Amino acid sequence: MASTSLVPADSVSRKKSLRSRIARSEWYLHVVMIVALLVTFVPIIWMISTSFKDRLGFAEHPASLIPWDPTFVNYRYMLTAVDNLPVYMRNSFILAIGTAVIQVFVASLAGYAFARMHFRGKNVILTLLIVSIFVPRSGGLMALYELMAFLDLRNSLFGLILLFAANVPVPIFIMRQAFLSVPKEIEEAAILDGASWFRVYRQIALPLALGGMVIVATLAFITAWSDYLVTFTMIDLDSQMTLSVGIQKVLATSYQSALTTQFQGQLSGETADAAMLLTATLPVVVFYALLQRWFMRGLTEGAVKF
Amino acid sequence: MGSRARRAPRQVGERNNAWAYLFIAPAIGLYLLFSIWPIFRGAAMAFTDYRFIYSETRWDFNGLSNYREMWGDDNFWAALRVTLRFTLYVLPFTVLISFVLAVVISRVTRLAGFYRWMIYLPVILPVAVTYLMFGELFNTRFGLINVTLQNLGMERPPNWLSDVDYALRALSIADIWRGVGFPTLLFLIGLYAIGTDLYEAAAVDGATGWQQLRSITLPLLKPVFALVLLLGLSSIPMTIDPMLILTGGAPRDTTMTLGLYSYQIAFQFGDLRLGYASAINLVLGLSSAVVALIVFRSLRGDIESTGPGRRWWRKRNATP
Repeated sequence: MASTSLVPADSVSRKKSLRSRIARSEWYLHVVMIVALLVTFVPIIWMISTSFKDRLGFAEHPASLIPWDPTFVNYRYMLTAVDNLPVYMRNSFILAIGTAVIQVFVASLAGYAFARMHFRGKNVILTLLIVSIFVPRSGGLMALYELMAFLDLRNSLFGLILLFAANVPVPIFIMRQAFLSVPKEIEEAAILDGASWFRVYRQIALPLALGGMVIVATLAFITAWSDYLVTFTMIDLDSQMTLSVGIQKVLATSYQSALTTQFQGQLSGETADAAMLLTATLPVVVFYALLQRWFMRGLTEGAVKF
Repeated sequence: MGSRARRAPRQVGERNNAWAYLFIAPAIGLYLLFSIWPIFRGAAMAFTDYRFIYSETRWDFNGLSNYREMWGDDNFWAALRVTLRFTLYVLPFTVLISFVLAVVISRVTRLAGFYRWMIYLPVILPVAVTYLMFGELFNTRFGLINVTLQNLGMERPPNWLSDVDYALRALSIADIWRGVGFPTLLFLIGLYAIGTDLYEAAAVDGATGWQQLRSITLPLLKPVFALVLLLGLSSIPMTIDPMLILTGGAPRDTTMTLGLYSYQIAFQFGDLRLGYASAINLVLGLSSAVVALIVFRSLRGDIESTGPGRRWWRKRNATP
């Protein structure tokens, strides 16, 4: 409905004189944004640059944002000498993709019910879902720990997937919105013809709600991949550790192994760290970049509903 | 035959569709188990002396003795002071910066999409990566910040993360960097909802940008300010991540916030005292929720009063 108009038309004005007035006075706005741009990107560019420096290059010009003598030694070191990195990486993908799949499944089912079906308690449940978002959760970490231990889901990626996928209110609203935005006549006809609700949902409604599913999956992927606190609390086995938590361990060891391995003298702790931090970031940034239009719209729509 | 006739209108008017409960069951079930149950269990735990490694203490209710212990716990009061200081460092800057950025982004005619994308980027980065990156930035000898300061002529730049005067500020900077994106987005949604008509009319009437900000933007954005403050006040005092990742409370407990203190009690020290830690969290959560609600109510209560922008808004809407 109105949600599309919330995504701003970049043209502020239709009146010509006004537009020129705005354009003339716009330069200082961009100055503000350039400052924001620098604050946002300089740390990241510095990390990228550092990851392409060797020990000597970093020691001589630690602050330069351009690696004048680029080298892949940090990445070679990372891929060959850091034992746990592939395991962490695999676990992160399992966690993030698993969360996305389960969350899309349960949220689209529920979102469909809230969009198309009539049942007692519907509005009450919807309202409770919204209200519950605002109850602070960090106090629940201790209870969550007990629960996961009780269910024998500590140190289990599967348990963590369920835990992240359980954060359903926003995904349900996004899916509900996606189903509401497609016409319901075909579905009604199919129901009258005797198709089951599940078949209608799966074969007619779901393919049309692809946009909503992509948003939900992306949000879930990023949340699960980027989390620190919950993963850190629930997982302490190396074999189940994700990259977002394990990275800290890997960095701590890299200082020593940089001095002892075959890469001795070629890299320093800082340059190796930079390469690994960037690697841990790459998947979410790729998702974010590829899906940024969907992503922004999903956030806007989700937030408007509150 | 009769049942068929009753079923016919089930797509629209039917009162109760049992299928729906089947459809919402997985999502609601997961939510109740992993999200709602811990709230209640956590509240109950706050009145027990539950130590995780002695599972039989699970339901050992001990009345108010957790709170008596807290009252006499010097570490608790010290951590509370650190928490307040951290909130004072982070919240005003986060609100101010995100508001300015949102206003600017809402007014540019070009690159707005890119700016929105850029501002939200730090939010999606893995938490640990962001803070570890700031750990490198704040590195005493090779960090970008200190090397730059030295190049600018400062002889002995601060030892950020291990100096008692700077550590909490350094963590605050990292937290602001990471936390600005979401409120900016909320402000932007509010600004886009105001639309451009009012500003066009104001510009035609010769109102300067400053006047427009004061009499249109600020009054109409009050609900968003209320929301941003509510979310900030209920999340910033609970911050654990940067301390856990970068300092662990050091140097000399100057970055030991209540969130970190209770986390260590629960998961890192001794018998894993989940009960006492929950009690600390309950006190912290309730008091910040009360403050947040007071701020929220006082701002929301004002909304219906007629600021100049509001009056104008109504008048314009009344005459189509």
